[in-house]
Amino acid sequence: MNQPVAITGLGCLCGAGMNLAECMESMFRGVRKPRPPFRFSTDHPVSYPVLELRDEFKLPLDDQEKVYARTSQLALAAALEALADAGWDEASLRGKKVGVCIGTTVGCALNCDDFYRAYKEGDDPEMDVIERFLRSNPASVIARQLKLDGPNQTVVNACSSGTDAIGLGASWIHSGACDIVIAGGADELSRVTYAGFSSLMITDTEPCKPFDVNRKGLNLGEGAGIMVLESDAIRGDRKAWGFVRGYGSACDAYHLTAPRPDGAGLKQAMGEAFAAAGLTPEQIAFVNAHGTGTPDNDKVESGVLAEMLPGVPFLSTKGYTGHTLGAAGGIEAVFTVESLRRGKLPANIGYADADPEIKGTPVTENTEIDGEYALSESLAFGGNNAVLILGKGDD
Amino acid sequence: MRMAIQSIGISGGFGQGVDSLQRALVAGEVEPQTGEVERNGTVDSFPCYRAAIDGLDEFFPKRALRRIDHYSKMTLYGASLALKEAGLLEADRSRMGVIIATGYGALKTTFDFLDSYLDFGYSCSSPTHFSNSVHNAAAAHVSMQFKATAPSLTVTQFEMSVASALLTARHWLAEGRVDQVLFGATDEYCDVLRYCRKRFFCDGEQGPMAPFNFERQSAVVGEGAAFFILTRDEQQASYGYIDAVTLGNHVASPLELPADDFVIAGADGHRDCGQWYAETIGSLPASAYSPLYGSFPAAAGFDLAVAALTLKEGCYFTVPDNAGSTTTPEEAPAKISCLKFGPGGDYGLIRLSR
Repeated sequence: MNQPVAITGLGCLCGAGMNLAECMESMFRGVRKPRPPFRFSTDHPVSYPVLELRDEFKLPLDDQEKVYARTSQLALAAALEALADAGWDEASLRGKKVGVCIGTTVGCALNCDDFYRAYKEGDDPEMDVIERFLRSNPASVIARQLKLDGPNQTVVNACSSGTDAIGLGASWIHSGACDIVIAGGADELSRVTYAGFSSLMITDTEPCKPFDVNRKGLNLGEGAGIMVLESDAIRGDRKAWGFVRGYGSACDAYHLTAPRPDGAGLKQAMGEAFAAAGLTPEQIAFVNAHGTGTPDNDKVESGVLAEMLPGVPFLSTKGYTGHTLGAAGGIEAVFTVESLRRGKLPANIGYADADPEIKGTPVTENTEIDGEYALSESLAFGGNNAVLILGKGDD
Repeated sequence: MRMAIQSIGISGGFGQGVDSLQRALVAGEVEPQTGEVERNGTVDSFPCYRAAIDGLDEFFPKRALRRIDHYSKMTLYGASLALKEAGLLEADRSRMGVIIATGYGALKTTFDFLDSYLDFGYSCSSPTHFSNSVHNAAAAHVSMQFKATAPSLTVTQFEMSVASALLTARHWLAEGRVDQVLFGATDEYCDVLRYCRKRFFCDGEQGPMAPFNFERQSAVVGEGAAFFILTRDEQQASYGYIDAVTLGNHVASPLELPADDFVIAGADGHRDCGQWYAETIGSLPASAYSPLYGSFPAAAGFDLAVAALTLKEGCYFTVPDNAGSTTTPEEAPAKISCLKFGPGGDYGLIRLSR
């Protein structure tokens, strides 16, 4: 069994809000605003709704758009919110072993289609986009901006990246490699992923409906969810908002994009997380599910939940945020901790009609919860499954 | 906890397998191939170190490799060779983790996907290219082909990818999450990369590589895959041990190298990293082997393979031609530090022992 790792700061921005408080309030009000993308366009005959950030955000950087790619800007914004929440600033972090572990997908892909179009057409495109890409590794950006000297890791495990990053960051605290770890996930909405997911025919033309019988697919989103993890020695008697109690991950080794029908990898990841936490399924108050709204994911995931955590309330928050890919695990872990702290879950928006193939029903309205522990899970391309068990913080 | 290196599987510009690497090390040189890119009616010729994957047929029927791109095939080949050398091709791999370190991921397929919609419109975007362009596609193919159901991870941190990913391999083994880690470092060449490097470095990519000439841009592009079976089991340490992995920033906290280690520098002819090597290595015994496999972010994995082979053979290999003024001590190597710098002073230091 692992020692709990304290979570002392939370930060989040996404389609649901520009900071964590806004996100929680909009979810409890049942607000979501998917709409066609406004940051880019395509000639695709169908316009798929997405959840982009509602407002621009300003970082303490000159010319932030030119300096860093959007994913890294999102990561940095959420990291600064989380650090402020934990009571840290750049100066007070100096001299401490501070690591950065960030999950992403788009943030490390050379998805520069305007540059590439010019290259294909025989032009000599300028290199500023490539230079920005080379400066924009999300974990490195946070470390560089805050002048940190610990280990950095950018995890690219597709849609489980954020969950994995938090689990790995907790492991750095356990081992003594770090005093503090800034961990989570970040991803921007991109024309490339928009085209990619539509080519896979797993995007919905309407607001997504996780676990509903009429679900047609996901809505893409963007954002970042970051938490500050601390060793007991560094935290002292400062308050923790929550604890990382356990982490597990496993690979389906089955298919590049589809989940294994029997959910064996997810069950294995859950089993590892429970063993690490020293907890049993009966102690779990709720599950923040991956719940993308795709037919396959929701069917497999609900089957595993029914088998492993029967009767435990579950929800997907992707109706509010969209599927933010590498950021999703970070955002949902932050929501999980905050929901434990508030003792309340938002409704699984988009759910209306039961699917006979889905075992169990997600929470359909804002729901009071009374419990110490919750589970946040992610399933990903490549067959990755990652599970975090999170605990309630100090009262 | 130290990690035992049980086996190596490697493919690069020098050839395929550890024996090829060893032959290149003994010879002290590898003749680069000539790459050609045709654009706007002119042919751009340049030296490069490309990796062949001819031997993949030994491990998989052609049918199983349909729709798998060069990047993932290179990865699968390196993994296969490492498993073969360890005698684990037929073993139960349910407790074997998979970790891949890459600087750029599946570059060619990333651009192939863009081709699909730039050429034919967004409604013709290729789902196959998209799913194979995701950074962890190669790790997924490895897990699928070898039925490795333990944790799988892909890390990308440019030049620091290998050191950063090794840190996690060490944690997984120390925590007992896995019994072995199939650890790989992979990067591939593509024509757009050539364009970028030409724009960044002008004629500095024409070689010959002179990694210890820190004033000159002499990098030559390379690609390949280097794999290792890492384990807690010290009885399996065919190639010695990885004792420590440290990441940091030399500007924030100046790095002091261990005085009793032989240093394998990840210097690969990039002038913008040269000063960091010059400052830290000083008069320590050191060499660089990048002229045998070229310049690419995951080449730090190739440095690691050279270090492991050096410890296994108990002798220093010939300093590659053009490596500059490097020295090797007289006594057999017992400890080696593999040092890799990024342009901003970020460093990864991997310490190995016999």
